[in-house]
Amino acid sequence: MIVRDESGVASWAPNRLGSIRTRLTLLYSILLFGLAAIMVGGIYLSLSRALSDEPLSRDARYGDLIAAVESASGVSGDDALPVSDRLVAFEGEVNRRALDQLRTYSVTALVALFLGSLAVGWYVAGLVLRPIGRISSVAREISATDLSRRIDLGGPDDELRDLADTFDDMLGRLDVAFESQRRFVQEASHELRNPLAVLRANLDVVMADPNADTDDFRAAGEVAGRAASRMSALVDDLLLYAHHERTDSRREPVDAAIVVAETVEDFGATAAAAGIVLLHEIAPELPVVGDPVALRRALANLLSNAIRVSDPTCRVRVTAGQDAEMVWMSVLDDGPGLSPEDQERVFQRFWRGDRASAREAGRSGLGLAIVRQIAEAHGGQVTLRSTIGVGSTFTVWLPRFVDS
Amino acid sequence: MRILLVDDEADLVDAIARGLRRNGYAVDTALDGDEALAKATWTPYDLICLDITMPGLDGFEVCRALRENPPEGVAPRILMLTARDTVEERIRGLDVGADDYLVKPFAFDELAARVRSLLRRDSGRTGAVLMVGSLLLDTATHDVSRGGRSLDLTAKEFALLRYFMSRPGDVVSQEDLLDHVWDEHVDPFTNTVRVTVGTLRRKLSEGDELAIIETIVGSGYRLLDDGADPS
Repeated sequence: MIVRDESGVASWAPNRLGSIRTRLTLLYSILLFGLAAIMVGGIYLSLSRALSDEPLSRDARYGDLIAAVESASGVSGDDALPVSDRLVAFEGEVNRRALDQLRTYSVTALVALFLGSLAVGWYVAGLVLRPIGRISSVAREISATDLSRRIDLGGPDDELRDLADTFDDMLGRLDVAFESQRRFVQEASHELRNPLAVLRANLDVVMADPNADTDDFRAAGEVAGRAASRMSALVDDLLLYAHHERTDSRREPVDAAIVVAETVEDFGATAAAAGIVLLHEIAPELPVVGDPVALRRALANLLSNAIRVSDPTCRVRVTAGQDAEMVWMSVLDDGPGLSPEDQERVFQRFWRGDRASAREAGRSGLGLAIVRQIAEAHGGQVTLRSTIGVGSTFTVWLPRFVDS
Repeated sequence: MRILLVDDEADLVDAIARGLRRNGYAVDTALDGDEALAKATWTPYDLICLDITMPGLDGFEVCRALRENPPEGVAPRILMLTARDTVEERIRGLDVGADDYLVKPFAFDELAARVRSLLRRDSGRTGAVLMVGSLLLDTATHDVSRGGRSLDLTAKEFALLRYFMSRPGDVVSQEDLLDHVWDEHVDPFTNTVRVTVGTLRRKLSEGDELAIIETIVGSGYRLLDDGADPS
C-alpha cells in the first residue's frame, strides 16, 4: 500500500527514524557505549582509589627506600622539608597526571567507540534486514501483480529464510484457492448463461414480432418462467456449495445412525410417489464429528439421485455401519449404472448424465459435487461402485469418532 | 438461405428458429451433435449455428467432422453459439473451422446481423443490400423495391427473391430452392415452389413492367437483369 504523508509525496519506506534499522543501530550503540562506559569508569575509579588511598611514600615498607634517597641526597631526614613529604607531593602529582591522561583517553575512546558502533551497527543491521526488505518488496509486487510469483529467498537456512519459505507456502495455498474460486465462478457463470440466453432470445424474438398475439406472449412467458426457476435452483445450489466450501463449519459429536434414519424417513413419501421401495439397514450408534445438517444434505443428495435414476418398482437400499476407524453411509440403486468414464466425472461440478432431462427437472449438476465436498470437509471421502445395467452404490466414508 | 440451428436447449432453439424464419430463412433444428451431423451430411446448409456444450458429439467435434468431410457443394458457414467465453475456447472454436463465434446470452438482433454477414461472404458482396437491375433488396431491413416502387413480400417470397438475387443469371433448379429456401418440413412433392415463384413473379412485375423471373422448362428458373436503374 502506498502511504502518503501530509506533503502528498508518496513514500514506500517507513519513517527513517522509526525504522527497525535505526532502532537496532541505536540500541546496539547505546548498549555497547553503556557497557564500555561502565568498564572504563570502573577501571578509572578503582585505579584512582588505589592511587589515592595511602601514598606509597608513607608506607613503612618503603622506609629503606626513603632513607636511601635521603642519604644519597645528603639531606638529613630531620631538617628542612622532610624528603618523605616531598616524595608524597611528587607521587601525588604523578598520580593526578596519570588519572588525567586516563580520563582523556577514556572519554576519547568512548566517543570514538560510540561513533564506530553507530557505523558498524547501521551496517550490520542493514545486512541482517536486507532479506526482509526483499521479502516485503516482492510481497508488495506479488499483491499488485499475480499470485503465481514466489519470494524464493535462497541463502542460508536461517530464520529469515524460514519466514520467506512460510510466506511462499502461504502464497501457494492462496494461489490454489483463488484459482479454484476463479474456476468455480467461471463455471457458475457459464451455467447461468444458458437460461439467460433462453430468456433473452425468447423475449427478443417475441418483442420484435409485430404480429405476435397473446398466445405468443404467453408461450414466451412460460419459457421465461422455466428459465427463471432453473436459474433460482442453480443459484440455491451455488450458495449451498459456496457455504460448504468454508472450512469453519460446525463440528460437534453426531450419531450418523440418527442422521441416516431421519433422512430415510424424510424420503419415504418421495420414494413411494415414485413407486420405489426404500429399504434401510442401519447399525446402531455410529459416532462421527461434524455438521449434522451437512451430513443430512449429503445423504439426501445421494438418495434423491438414486430415486431419480431408478425405474418404478425398483429398490433403493440405504445401509450404514462402521469398522474400527470409519463410519460409512451407503446408498445402493438398481438404476442404469454408470460407465467407467462417467464414474470419473460424476463428482465434477455441473456434470449431468443427461443434460436435457436434468434441465427440465431443474437440476444444477452440483448435487454429487456437494456430497463430495461435505465428505471431504469431514475428513472423509465418497466412493462409487457402479456397473452398467446393474446399478450404482455411492458410499460416504467418515472418520469414526473415538472418545478417548 | 437455409440454416441448421443446433443447441440442446429446446426453448432456445424454438425462439431463434422462429426469429430467423421471420427474417426469411429456412431453418432446420437439431438438439444434439449426432442429429446435427446427420442433417448436415444430407442437406447443403448455407449456415450452421452450432452450440458447443451438447450431449453426444459436442460442437467442436461436429465442426471438425464437417470440415474434414465437407458435404457436397459449397461448405456451410459455421457460427458457434456458446456459453464458454474464454479466449482459449474462442481460439479453439475458430481453429476447428468455425467462421464466427457468439457468446450466450446474445441479443437476437446481433445474431441476425452475424447471420447476414456470414451469408454475405458467399456471394462476394460487401454490404447488406443486393441489387440486380432495377431490383433492390436490403437483407438487414427487409426492404424490397423495384424501380423505386416498394414491394410487400411474405417471408418466404423474400427468402426466394434473396436467393435468386444472390445468383443473378444462374439457372436455379426446384431442388436448389427446396434445399436452400425451404426447410426440412416441406413435402418434396408439393407444388409450393411453383406457387411461391408464381406469386413472387406477379408482385415483381406490375402493369407493363418486364417479367424478370424466367421459367426454363425442365431445368428451373432464372432471374433476369432488366438493365434498368433501381430508383
